[in-house]
Amino acid sequence: MIAEIQAGPRVPEAAPNILEVRNLRKSFGVHEVLKNINFAMRKGEVVAVIGPSGSGKSTLLRCLNQLEPASGGEITIDGLTIRADHQLRRAELMGLRRKAGMVFQSFNLFPHLSVLRNISLPQERVLGRSRAEAEKRAHALLERVGLADKASQYPARCSGGQQQRIAIARALALDPQVMLFDEPTSALDPEVGLEVLAVMKELAEGGMTMVVVTHEMHFAETVSDRVLLMADGHILEEGPSAEVMRNPKSERAQRFLKAVMNR
Amino acid sequence: MSWDFAILILSGLPWTIVVTIGAFAMGLILGAPLCAMHISRNPILHFLALAIIIFLRSIPPIVWVFLLFFGLGSGFISIGAIPATIIALGVVTAANMAEIYRGSLSSIHAGQWEAISALGLPPVSSFKDIILPQLFRVTLPSAASYLIGLFKDSAIASTVGVMDIAFLANFVARKSFDGLTPFAFAAVLYILISIPIALVARIADARLRQKVAQ
Repeated sequence: MIAEIQAGPRVPEAAPNILEVRNLRKSFGVHEVLKNINFAMRKGEVVAVIGPSGSGKSTLLRCLNQLEPASGGEITIDGLTIRADHQLRRAELMGLRRKAGMVFQSFNLFPHLSVLRNISLPQERVLGRSRAEAEKRAHALLERVGLADKASQYPARCSGGQQQRIAIARALALDPQVMLFDEPTSALDPEVGLEVLAVMKELAEGGMTMVVVTHEMHFAETVSDRVLLMADGHILEEGPSAEVMRNPKSERAQRFLKAVMNR
Repeated sequence: MSWDFAILILSGLPWTIVVTIGAFAMGLILGAPLCAMHISRNPILHFLALAIIIFLRSIPPIVWVFLLFFGLGSGFISIGAIPATIIALGVVTAANMAEIYRGSLSSIHAGQWEAISALGLPPVSSFKDIILPQLFRVTLPSAASYLIGLFKDSAIASTVGVMDIAFLANFVARKSFDGLTPFAFAAVLYILISIPIALVARIADARLRQKVAQ
């Protein structure tokens, strides 16, 4: 049972589903964090996942690339299906992670590698690109995120906002089909967060399929096509961003949005 | 004490170095599987490693040397004074290095493992390209201070007849009826070797730190 898709105007109606989540469940011991999650995304769509702390947003995102193995249900990304009740083979897991790029709240760059090497090394090891090829791509991506001059620096010499843009470039370098963002600006000062959001906006406009767990309501409303509003392990409301954020139906959603929008 | 005696004591230096490097190399190598067992999720391996580490560390190095050389060496197996000392100091070093490795591993941020997983880096590359270089940086200072300790502890070798610095200093002291000068000379030798090790480790650490400071 897949929730009906209401893509924003930017995504063509006929675009195929690139991501489908069916009956996804996740428990930590007896604590059920995700309860029967269903949603689908079209290629090129940008979905913001919002909701109060502890609602299961990050867990949902981490289940999508199996950083957290799901307890039940199935996930399909770009034709590759992972079922929770089947033993996951290593090749499948690697395939899934190759299709999904991930950006973390705490950047997680490799501190002992230069900025350029952070972006080029995974390309060589995962995709088998030559060093020259990988570095060429890394330079191009650094250019794209506005950090061409940082190539030879080490991550510690870069600001938080710069580190996050480098982390985005690192994930993009592996040519993912879907980009997963786990609260990418939560560790940053608001004004520094803006430079990261600008890069994400540009990425969205370039047609990248993105799932963004975020507290940035302005981003959710203006950049994303759709919003999933989660609470207590459920998708409480789902639909075009403006609709969900301006006219939430349930009382719980109204309460959450009122609290975050009036800040 | 004449210069001949000084040169005689100095001729013990190679043996001191052989014992130190031998035991250190043994500890560096054997410490790795011991650490791997200790952090293993398999409870049998974990407790076995824990027991080995406690056992090895609870017995003084000099007792280990005597156990191997006089104990096992008296009829059970034939073992020379130098191998006995290297093995005795080596197993103790292995236990300590296992603990140092474990501490270094736990200092690696969980986010590094997550990034490795999310990028889909193959296991060999993950270890060689990402984890090992970071481990090296964290391990270097503790390993260097352990090496200096080991270098001084290698004097234990003299008790089973290895002709190292301490043994020859003792020999010269008995020959010349002068206790102070030969041992003071030996002390200076130990200092002159320890300081450069500490300096090199400190400089290397500072360089690595400067590069990746967080």
